[in-house]
Amino acid sequence: MNVINQFLRMLSPKVVVRAHCDLPCGVYDPEQARIEAESCYKIVEKYAGNEDVAFRTRAIHIKEERAELVKHHLDVLWHDYFKPEHLEKVPNLHDLFWQATKQVSKVKASTDLADAKKLLDLIDQVDAAWKATGGNEKTRVAGRPS
Amino acid sequence: MGRVSAGPWRVAVTEGSMAPAILPGDWLLVNPRLTAWPAPGSVVVFREPLSEALAIKRVEAGPGQQVRFGGGFLTLADDEAWLTADADEKTAAAVGFGPPIDSNRFGPVSLDDLVARVVFRYAPLRRVGRIAPRPSEGAAA
Repeated sequence: MNVINQFLRMLSPKVVVRAHCDLPCGVYDPEQARIEAESCYKIVEKYAGNEDVAFRTRAIHIKEERAELVKHHLDVLWHDYFKPEHLEKVPNLHDLFWQATKQVSKVKASTDLADAKKLLDLIDQVDAAWKATGGNEKTRVAGRPS
Repeated sequence: MGRVSAGPWRVAVTEGSMAPAILPGDWLLVNPRLTAWPAPGSVVVFREPLSEALAIKRVEAGPGQQVRFGGGFLTLADDEAWLTADADEKTAAAVGFGPPIDSNRFGPVSLDDLVARVVFRYAPLRRVGRIAPRPSEGAAA
């Protein structure tokens, strides 16, 4: 048996080639979600300061669009950037994303600035998790953001 | 061109985009002494654009040929080939992998990134032999 094993070891290739499936771009940054969430925040502010019906209708429509983008960007971070081994550094990861994406749904339906602010805070926690797992060094091109 | 790769002679395959002709775990003999793209239908090892990883795909079209792309046609340059997966999304999923990555994603591959041509499978024992043609081509031939 030993001889066969040795023989096999001798024959085994040293080089691995990939019959490659799926290719994530590898660029992730919670800032993308944060910017859309800031849009929601500012729109809620503007909504409160303007009584015009047409303006308010547009504001709500735009807020829903931006909120949908926040949800998308959070989902991409959750599904594609974070890996099971990151749970060691961020044990509350799944709960955090659950809260954050649920908060997005709240922001969609709400014109309360406190809801939009809470979403920003949750995204900042996601950002902290991203940094704690080396995201800023690993996932951006040429060291951005500075 | 006189280009001779210092590439490997034996490679092990991971991932499933070449199923069913080549499966993860296959050990292949390859010829790294190439000076030009081999004929369409050949399976090649190459340095994948974007990822820089060593990858394996089949030559669908060679230098100067036209390929369908993005609803139109693309003419390959005189050092380029179009490399595609054998497996479609469903076949890749059946062996446990995501959608295959090939030239439809990373574009034409330059001769500079060609590493070797696959010649023969020498393991596992029950699959020893030449590489089957692309499933659709096999049916047409």
